[in-house]
Amino acid sequence: MRQELKEYRFDWMLYSCFSSAARLKSGSEKEYRHSMNYIPYFRGTVESVLGAGEPGQKFIELTAKYLDNMINAKERGLKTAVTTFCFSPAIFYAMDIMPICLEVVSVMMTFAYKRGTAEFLDYCNEVGYTETSCSSQRGSIGAYLAGLGADIDMIVTDTPGVCDTNANAFAFAAAYLDKPFFQLDMPPDLTGERSDEYHREDYKALIAFLEEHSGKKLDLERLRANLIELHKQDEIIAEIEELARVVPNPLHVAGNLIVYASRFLFAGMPECTEVLESILRQGKENAAKGVSGLSSGTEKIRAFFCYIDHYVQNLKLWEMLDEHGVGYQGNILSRSWASSAPHVQEYGMQEAAYTLNTADLDGLIDGMAMVNSRMPMIKSIRGPYDAPNMWLQDTLSLAKMYSADCIIYNGTPGCRNTWGMVKLLARDTEKAGFPTFVMNADAFDERVQSWETTRDRFLEFLTVRRLI
Amino acid sequence: MTRVAGCDVGSLTSKAVIMEDGRVLESVIIKSKARPWESADEVMKQALGKAGLSMADIKFCVGTGYGRDKITFVNEAVSEIACHGRGARWLLPTVRTVIDIGGQDCKAVKLDDSGNMLKFITNDKCASGTGRFLEVMAKVLGVELGDLGALSVKAKSPITLASACTVWAQADVIQHLNDKVPVEDIAAGVNAAMASRMATLANNIGVERDVCMTGGVAKNDGVVSALEKLLGVRIKRIRRADPQLAGALGAALIAGDRANGGKA
Amino acid sequence: MNSAFMKAATSLNNEHVAKWKESGRRVVGYTCSYVPDEIFHAAGILPYRIRGFGAADTTIGDTYFGPFICSLPKCMLQLAGEGKFDFLDGAIITPGCDSMRRLDECWRKAGGDIPGSLPKFFFHFGVPHKYADYTIKWFAEETRRLVDAVEKHFGVKVEDDTLRSSIRVYNKSRKLLDEFDALRTADDPPFTGTEALAVILAGTTMPREEYNGLLEKFIAESKKAKGISGKVRLMLVGSANDDVELVRVMEGSSALVVADNLCFGSRFYTDLVEEEGDPVLNLAKRYLSHNDCPRMYGDYKRRLGILREKVKKAKIDGIVLQNIRFCDLHGSENGLFERDLEKEGIPCMRLEREYGPLVETGRMKMRVDAFIERILQGRREIA
Repeated sequence: MRQELKEYRFDWMLYSCFSSAARLKSGSEKEYRHSMNYIPYFRGTVESVLGAGEPGQKFIELTAKYLDNMINAKERGLKTAVTTFCFSPAIFYAMDIMPICLEVVSVMMTFAYKRGTAEFLDYCNEVGYTETSCSSQRGSIGAYLAGLGADIDMIVTDTPGVCDTNANAFAFAAAYLDKPFFQLDMPPDLTGERSDEYHREDYKALIAFLEEHSGKKLDLERLRANLIELHKQDEIIAEIEELARVVPNPLHVAGNLIVYASRFLFAGMPECTEVLESILRQGKENAAKGVSGLSSGTEKIRAFFCYIDHYVQNLKLWEMLDEHGVGYQGNILSRSWASSAPHVQEYGMQEAAYTLNTADLDGLIDGMAMVNSRMPMIKSIRGPYDAPNMWLQDTLSLAKMYSADCIIYNGTPGCRNTWGMVKLLARDTEKAGFPTFVMNADAFDERVQSWETTRDRFLEFLTVRRLI
Repeated sequence: MTRVAGCDVGSLTSKAVIMEDGRVLESVIIKSKARPWESADEVMKQALGKAGLSMADIKFCVGTGYGRDKITFVNEAVSEIACHGRGARWLLPTVRTVIDIGGQDCKAVKLDDSGNMLKFITNDKCASGTGRFLEVMAKVLGVELGDLGALSVKAKSPITLASACTVWAQADVIQHLNDKVPVEDIAAGVNAAMASRMATLANNIGVERDVCMTGGVAKNDGVVSALEKLLGVRIKRIRRADPQLAGALGAALIAGDRANGGKA
Repeated sequence: MNSAFMKAATSLNNEHVAKWKESGRRVVGYTCSYVPDEIFHAAGILPYRIRGFGAADTTIGDTYFGPFICSLPKCMLQLAGEGKFDFLDGAIITPGCDSMRRLDECWRKAGGDIPGSLPKFFFHFGVPHKYADYTIKWFAEETRRLVDAVEKHFGVKVEDDTLRSSIRVYNKSRKLLDEFDALRTADDPPFTGTEALAVILAGTTMPREEYNGLLEKFIAESKKAKGISGKVRLMLVGSANDDVELVRVMEGSSALVVADNLCFGSRFYTDLVEEEGDPVLNLAKRYLSHNDCPRMYGDYKRRLGILREKVKKAKIDGIVLQNIRFCDLHGSENGLFERDLEKEGIPCMRLEREYGPLVETGRMKMRVDAFIERILQGRREIA
């Protein structure tokens, strides 16, 4: 690791970037333009996000607020829990614990820095962590392992049974740093009495763990309030997703990214609600006018990303899609399984949806356990991919619902659970009539496949399959 | 007068060193042949020839490198790791961490006060991080392997290369060439990528001063200075002899131990 | 004496399996040490541990699995696709790890393309990732689900008493293997690590009663045999290995692998199953409590303790921490083991390798040789 990276705490540096970015538009346009000269490597990200208009501004403010919470947690008397994006943070907020969502922090660094998280990724390797592990946690974990972040109080994950490399990252960090660790374990089935009971008992054990290590008791009223807010957010997301069905898609090309990032950082909290409402407003305005959310106004084709996006610096993925008239029809990261979700309604999947019972503690815990077990990946990457409620079913039903012209898979080489069967998935989706492109890139590490090559291959796919 | 010999058979080059009472009499580096025993025979023949000696004059001979077990004229086969460590200590008495980048693999060895191995680590599956990587890239760039170092020093804006895989890095270099990026900048990127992988490997065992490099890539200034920056320490240049001879030297030194009654 | 074990360990459809099939009985394969074989024994079915040993390439494996996947399940699929597992009447897949979990769908799809390569009974057996009262309960239910499915498909009845007696047979093996372990870790062991692995592997391929008989004879003979002295004592830790040649390469001429914590090794046979009470619950308890696999997240300290104890008990000179490339669970945990055990003065060496045909023995041997040299140097310093 270069000496420069060790001079400042990485979390403070990140906070500094995004909180400054959040204030950029508070001056005059001239001041804004002038400031851009001082952030040659960061301006791309800033311009991309702020280019989304009001939702972009609110989103940057949300990230700044999140990072502010993160670096000041101790001073404000909060314990910190390092966790994963597919762990709904509502429970942490209800217990005054600051959730540190590793993958979103990795995304922020990959967007903002010239070399992304490369040196932190390599640092993990230096301390014994395998380089073949997923880069999504590894980027941020490396910073923590190198002692470049604020001290962590506990480590919590819910990916055992879903994603080994994710679960392993947290287990490794916990062992390396000697911190308390808790796993929510996922059985192979989503539904059924056995799974319901398993989720419920496990979640109770989680709460006991959180109480022990935070020194705080679970506040029923706080949890109820958070769950209700979370449900409200899911309903707004349902409306946003309903809009995405319109042709042309009236949502901004990066709208989906803003939805899921806000959700992972602030589910159950008003900060997230505000951003979602802004996206919905903007989407509705465009829909009323019948215009596409793409900046050219012309939507040539619609692409459904069946896994995750590519987080190369400056949001180049979205820029490319926008530039080529490719409507972004979503990925697995924004899906909620509230009963109001369009896909639940469309396919009558009430059994797969979560039900909220906010009457008493048991009901709340049940509800929270259900919400959590339906987070992205947790819901659909258990058991075999072609089992009911699993990845194939979700991919095909969503691609169909959103009138996708093609399906795009992007992940990281560390993703054992998808690379183990993505060929099978692609075979099935092609057979179902969706041209499918499996990208060989690493969403968090450009050194695996440069962005230029990634982009060239993507456009080549669109051309060869006569999509554009 | 005790004469001993060390023979290091590598995949790309083979080396032989003849020592007499702790001094180097002769040393030879040749390009390896298809079979290790042929390389060993040839390089040893040349070294003996230069010294005006025959195998009978050699009291003890240690073989190392890939194929060391197949060399008929050695008295003992010792791992290249031990030999490189020992050789490096002789070449630079203050060394504690040895970084060796050879044709097909790379390693880092930590030594204790007596020059014995404390810890070591080798790269495992990948060509990137070995001399092979540089060879391939040099070919794509249309330059001599030996010129990569000098070129990169002239770089104004080094590129960031896909360092994870030699195959993809190759495609990247071609892309950059097509985009008319100056060769110096690409060369610098290539060297930096190499250094980055090596630094990660070395940091695994903990780098302690003094640090030196052995193996062919030690002669590539671009890689060496990139590595220095990443590790945050000066890499002491070896002046006493060609750093590529470290393995054979170490083997000869160990042969000297054995010849003087040291146990195997 | 040892040739019976060596033969069984190095051929898939060996004579035991052939004889069993000839008598009209069934064979069910399983991929993971978390599957209770006793169930099949009680059902009159031969439980057979599926391995990838003998796959010469992975063209079929690569067709279904994507890249970046550990070669173990790929080799297993390769063999299945080549018809080498046609003798199986069933297969049990577990989420041992993500790569192994995906063997389920990959094998099924390959079965669609290559007729006859998919066993008729194909079962996904869930295994929790931690040990708690509700996970035990779930796992006992899952075990019961497996029993029910076996009964239904194979038209047999597995009574509790039969299951209990199967447990006793397997416990006998475990006790015998404990004796075997004591011999293996003696100051002058009567057999090499290569032979020891063959003994353990053989148990996964033949009827248990026969195995127990052979084991007893082997132990008796070993007790009388001359011990091997003067070797460097190694322990092998990490990813699955079912190839005796790998151990042979490591042992070379100067070392002995006297202990391991591999899942084709000691993980497979330590700890007895409770013989009284509900047999399904007892099986679930013993099999799940085997937290020796890094898939049981959060249990690193306990596993470290187990290694430490073994080092002391078996008087280990050095530990080879190996992992198959892309095996992140073992690979990373090896990193932690190295850090913590080296701190206590126990020499460790990490080694990454491929699973499959042994093609890089030169490189591997060089590293192990260097490691042994380092250990011997250390000894000389102390002497």
